[in-house]
Amino acid sequence: MTKTTLSSYVKEPLVFAQKNFSSQAEVFEQVAQKALDLGWVREDFLERIGRREETFPTGIQLMNFGAAIPHTDAECVLEEFVAVITLQDPVVFYSMEDNSQQVKAQIVFVLGLNQPHAQLEMLQSLMGLLQNESVLSELLLATTENELISTIKKNQL
Amino acid sequence: MKTIRVLVACGAGIATSTVVMKKVEDLFARNEMPVEITQIKIAEAAGKQDEADMLISTTMLPTQYKIPAITAMAFLTGIGTEKVENQIIEAAKGIQ
Repeated sequence: MTKTTLSSYVKEPLVFAQKNFSSQAEVFEQVAQKALDLGWVREDFLERIGRREETFPTGIQLMNFGAAIPHTDAECVLEEFVAVITLQDPVVFYSMEDNSQQVKAQIVFVLGLNQPHAQLEMLQSLMGLLQNESVLSELLLATTENELISTIKKNQL
Repeated sequence: MKTIRVLVACGAGIATSTVVMKKVEDLFARNEMPVEITQIKIAEAAGKQDEADMLISTTMLPTQYKIPAITAMAFLTGIGTEKVENQIIEAAKGIQ
């Protein structure tokens, strides 16, 4: 199977539904720890994703939602993934376009990518998702990890 | 017609610039303008601007450039796409 769509990058252990994470740092810690346990990232992933977010924030303000797509240098990712995290209460990120603007993110996609050009189709499907507020709200309503994954599959993302 | 050399930049040169690169490619094709696109990290932009005509970025521009520099978040959010497309095409026409 070729890894081209978003759903093939979304893997169960790295899906977090309606979590009660209090900060961006906690989101990164949870994702990085799980990914490290799975052997999918190097140890420096956590530090580097946090540092990169500080320098180049990834918050995206949509019409009615806030989202973020943190990612970092290719070399710290061993096995590619897209972690999906939905939050009970939004967590503050800063806008990709203007780092003085807060974005209250309700959904976060941590991109663990290591091939700069290979994932165009997946990234386009992710950007398409960010532009589709009805599917986004469906994702935000999912209460369990399985429900989140099946919503992604059902919408052929 | 002169080939426009465009740098497409994001923070890591890996995710958002990949998407924007495709959009820019399509945009120039629709306008029948020849283009040569290079995907870079924004930190590399200052050093590469002498060999380029235009910079398109998905992050904030950390400094001023000699070449026209356009931020193109709209390609990711879908909000204000047309405006950014016009900006790019106008800048491209200015170069030709």
